[in-house]
Amino acid sequence: MTAILAKVLVIEDEKPIRRFVRMALEEESCQVIEAEKMADGLVQAGASKPDLIVLDLGLPDGNGIDLIRDVRGWSDVPILILSARSQEHDKIDALDAGADDYLTKPFSVGELRAHVRALLRRRNRNGETASPLIEFGDISVDLSRRRVIRAGIDVHLTPIEYRLLSNLLGHPGKVLTQRSLLREIWGPSYIESSHYLRVYVGHLRQKLEQDPTQPKYLLTETGVGYRFQP
Amino acid sequence: MKLKPNASTQYLLSVGACVTTTLLATPLLGYLDLANIVMLFLLTVLVIAVKLGRNPAIVASVLSVLLFDIFFVPPRFSLAVNNIQYLVTFAVMLVTALTTAHLAAGLKQRAQEAQEREQRTRALYELARQLAGTLALNQVIELASNFIQAQFQAKVAILPPEVSDYHGSIRIEPHLAKTAQDSGKLVRSDSMGALGLAAVYVPLKASMRIRGVLAVDFGPDNQEITPDTLALLEALASLVAVAVERLHYVDVAQSTEMSMLTERLRSSILSALSHDLRTPLTAMVGLADSLSLIKPPLPVQALETAQALHEQAERLAGLVGNLLDMARLNAGQVTLRREWQPLEEVIGASIKLLGHALAQHPVRVSLPPDLPLLEFDAVLIERVLCNLLENAAKYAPESSSIDLAAITQADTVKITVSDQGPGFPEQGAENLFEMFVRGQTTSGESSKPGTGLGLAICKAIVEAHAGCISAENKAEGGAVVAFTLPLGNPPTVEVEEETP
Repeated sequence: MTAILAKVLVIEDEKPIRRFVRMALEEESCQVIEAEKMADGLVQAGASKPDLIVLDLGLPDGNGIDLIRDVRGWSDVPILILSARSQEHDKIDALDAGADDYLTKPFSVGELRAHVRALLRRRNRNGETASPLIEFGDISVDLSRRRVIRAGIDVHLTPIEYRLLSNLLGHPGKVLTQRSLLREIWGPSYIESSHYLRVYVGHLRQKLEQDPTQPKYLLTETGVGYRFQP
Repeated sequence: MKLKPNASTQYLLSVGACVTTTLLATPLLGYLDLANIVMLFLLTVLVIAVKLGRNPAIVASVLSVLLFDIFFVPPRFSLAVNNIQYLVTFAVMLVTALTTAHLAAGLKQRAQEAQEREQRTRALYELARQLAGTLALNQVIELASNFIQAQFQAKVAILPPEVSDYHGSIRIEPHLAKTAQDSGKLVRSDSMGALGLAAVYVPLKASMRIRGVLAVDFGPDNQEITPDTLALLEALASLVAVAVERLHYVDVAQSTEMSMLTERLRSSILSALSHDLRTPLTAMVGLADSLSLIKPPLPVQALETAQALHEQAERLAGLVGNLLDMARLNAGQVTLRREWQPLEEVIGASIKLLGHALAQHPVRVSLPPDLPLLEFDAVLIERVLCNLLENAAKYAPESSSIDLAAITQADTVKITVSDQGPGFPEQGAENLFEMFVRGQTTSGESSKPGTGLGLAICKAIVEAHAGCISAENKAEGGAVVAFTLPLGNPPTVEVEEETP
């Protein structure tokens, strides 16, 4: 649990949902600011400088994606989206616009707390000087030397595999959409060629995961993208 | 159409005119030369030719010569002739009269024809103007009927392309109509007309296709059917065809708009419903959870109740989700986002998603190492796998494993999920994939939660992917559900060049 008091802005129009989200966040020692409407939320995001924004995508008074773009114009505060299932498109758009993570309704307090904790941890780490050494499971990756070691043995990665891995490792816990990964690694003309991405993620899992069919670190967000779970 | 005096009246008039001329000329016999009296007769013939037409004029010509001979040429009151030169007069008089009659009558007839043609053209223009404003097929039929009635005193019917669908007032010969429809040419049968059926069948040729047949019933005598008439009918048919085609496209446009509106309404109802149902369920799940956060902590019993509340709310949410999915799948609302991808990825995601529901049941995955990429909608296939794994976990005995395997078979991949549970009931296995049918209804006191929608959703999704799904029991016990996905031609991914 984080010791410092983080400020969290919750933008959600349903009072009962706000109520339990507030309780869960306060349990995480967060100070909660509530906003009922989009316009209000935008003002609060500017005025109170929150450490995290929890945003319901289905607000009645506007498009949450616009709010994300606005906020991203001047801040890199983590944004957690609450959305209904069957809204894959909205999720992808929100993530592409700069949101960090999403929760699908209905979600439990436990899930919410886990996601919030992960996002805040990352926020805190951003303050420190980034270490070039990343470790997860029996893998350690030295970004400065481009070396990947698994259980003490060097793992050989192709350039694309390495670029994909470092991209995922660069955003721990964040959901990266297929579109953004394809654009980043293969270039804009490959945005529709999602099979490239899938094949290479498969290669990485073969090389780095204990059980490639049930990965622990390089996770699939079905229909949306991938996430590195440290 | 002007009423013509009938034939015998015309001849009487003609004869009367000649007699009158004779009577008027007789007193003038002393004053006029015989040559000038001939002129009077010729004038009469000319007038008759112009007014009454050719045949009465011929009669008048012959009669005039006779009357002139009898009443004016000496010896009077006899056909005999004193002076042989009068024979020349008679001959010239007859030829002149006949020629005059012929020319005058021809002139008149042409004038009349021109007038008729002009009148019909005007009527066609008028019809075209009126047809342009029609909104329904029976208006078109009424306008065409009025037109034919006015022009020919005939009756008309518009037959649909399927001639057997015609139920109208005039009698038609279906085979002739079909010939006209199929050949695109006018069909005429006077013998049918004599039998009281429609005699002329004109295909309604529109730009796209033949849109039916115009059948015309001229009554028992078919005297009106001249080449002119047929030409007019074809002109009429093309106007009607354009009108019918226009109405057809009006219909098409209207029904497209209608179905678009229905579709939009349905999807907005579905999304409103899904939002309205999910919001309170989300609140219930979260609020039940939040009871455990209250300080000081609630008694254990209250916390257990809160946990039960949470589980029930989640079940309800699952049920609502299933119902909405089924509604969406049934409404054809789901567009597949098919992408080429490895099967193992969606398997891993499904197992991860189910999380602790599978805690008691390790999933053993066995896939052939050379399984090619498959084209499917990952979100939907994940749904299928989750439903199947969840079912298996529900019925499998505690801490028994669940097997998930795939094999290629001809041009499909067959994916099986099997458990070590009691299997499906013997009877009614084929109904398992129907909505609201649940396995295990008779054997054993099944209190397993479920709605009987899971397998129906699987079936709808698999079939949308052109696959099929089936269920059976293993010989050694346990249920197996298998579904197939087509193999297709996966795109190639170039092998990357090795780095230096």
